[in-house]
Amino acid sequence: MGVVTTFANFFAAVGAPVLALCAEVGGILTLLFRVLWCLVPPRFDLDETWRNLHKMGVKSVPIIVLTAFFTGGIMVIQAAVFVKKFGATSLVGWGAGYAVFREVGPMLLGLMFSGRVGSNNTAELGTMVVTEQIDGLRALSIDPVRYLLVPRVISMIVMLFLLTILGDVVAILGAALFGTVLADVSLASFWVSFSQNLHVADVVHGLIKAAVFGFIVALTSCHFGITVKGGAVGVGRAVNNAVVAAALGIVLSDYLLTYALP
Amino acid sequence: MIRCDGLGLTLSHRPVLNDLSWELAPGSVWGIIGPPASGKSVLAKTLCGLFTPQQGTLHVDGVEMTRLPEPERVTVRRKMGMLFQNNALFDFLRVWENVAFPLARQDPSLSREALAARAGERLRAVGLAGSEEKWPSELSGGMKKRVGIARATICNAPVLIYDEPTAGLDPVTTSKIYDLLTDLRTRHASTVIAISSDIPALRRFVDHILFLHQGQVRYRGPEAGLEACEDPVVYQFVRGLGEGPL
Repeated sequence: MGVVTTFANFFAAVGAPVLALCAEVGGILTLLFRVLWCLVPPRFDLDETWRNLHKMGVKSVPIIVLTAFFTGGIMVIQAAVFVKKFGATSLVGWGAGYAVFREVGPMLLGLMFSGRVGSNNTAELGTMVVTEQIDGLRALSIDPVRYLLVPRVISMIVMLFLLTILGDVVAILGAALFGTVLADVSLASFWVSFSQNLHVADVVHGLIKAAVFGFIVALTSCHFGITVKGGAVGVGRAVNNAVVAAALGIVLSDYLLTYALP
Repeated sequence: MIRCDGLGLTLSHRPVLNDLSWELAPGSVWGIIGPPASGKSVLAKTLCGLFTPQQGTLHVDGVEMTRLPEPERVTVRRKMGMLFQNNALFDFLRVWENVAFPLARQDPSLSREALAARAGERLRAVGLAGSEEKWPSELSGGMKKRVGIARATICNAPVLIYDEPTAGLDPVTTSKIYDLLTDLRTRHASTVIAISSDIPALRRFVDHILFLHQGQVRYRGPEAGLEACEDPVVYQFVRGLGEGPL
């Protein structure tokens, strides 16, 4: 009897979180299907999309610029010791560009975007749930997915893509500036190394990742926001879950995309 | 106008509505009362089609709602206006946009100017002239209720559902809100369902009472007959007694 109880407790302890995880993944996939359903053919609110593009994109510019500038700088600071030691100044532009375009840019900006926009989105949707605003929409025969979620998903994908382009440019400028100041790499040398060794594919690689990360942040933040239960505490829990899920999704998809993309 | 037959609804493995039967004639004014968590708000939302009962049938204006797919509920919902317990004002829209929102959805051909004019008219009717450009967060509790009422009534829907229209309001504001609801009801001859914990104020407003306890109907009939009801739960609740089954 004792052994049976121990096994039952073990399976219950393991099974409950697994079932909870499956429920969340299932919820996200269902949301994905419903969003795609509204996109083909496009049936969503343009005013709401425009409002979200502004709120999520334009208002994120300062933090993205700041993050990108110092990210570019950090690339050079880390490399500066070895650049000086081996005299590898001709590799600084390429190294910074390659790392920023393909990996560090989309990844860091994606995480920053998740922290700023994704968490805000979850909190906003969660508050709308607990204050019955979502019920209010449904009572007015408005599909919350079409009216609220699809515009947010589109806005996040578009804006993370565009912000990554901006971030890449700023990060390279930061790298060039820090390279000149800290590693004695002239701007001309940096530019030659950068322009002769990098290809459009490097930029495209990072931008595809940015769009995918935007989609992941959008889906996770919308899913956890719209399924909030339990008032203010529930909203806090949902924001926490959304940020963790988005970070995990970004890292996992980054791993897969790095393999899959040229 | 509305007829429920044996409605049963379970949420999160808990029965919320249990074999509920009820019929509302057009133009009647009903009050739903009962202890907390007795299923009052859930019933109101079920009538709007926000919850789908697992048992029974719900007819609104002759249309059976429970088996109706979501997209086809639109036509039925357009016959209803609802004030939610938490007002459910959209905090990303200004006051006039909130009020005009159902109208814009019902008639997309209306221009922004026409919508603003109609919303302004309705806001004046609820005593909120000059608040058009404010955000919901800038309003007091009573003002939010009034905006919610303006939004619920702007389409002149034949059925109006008010969930706690005076919750948390002082007696003067409560009286003003019921005067307003009475005025709206007289002008449009709507069927009205009001849920409230303020029993004396509610009883002055309604003709009929539905008493719910644990999702079951314990009294259904004229307001005047409530005192004579011998159900021990109703008896205790209506008289506010400390001793009893509640």
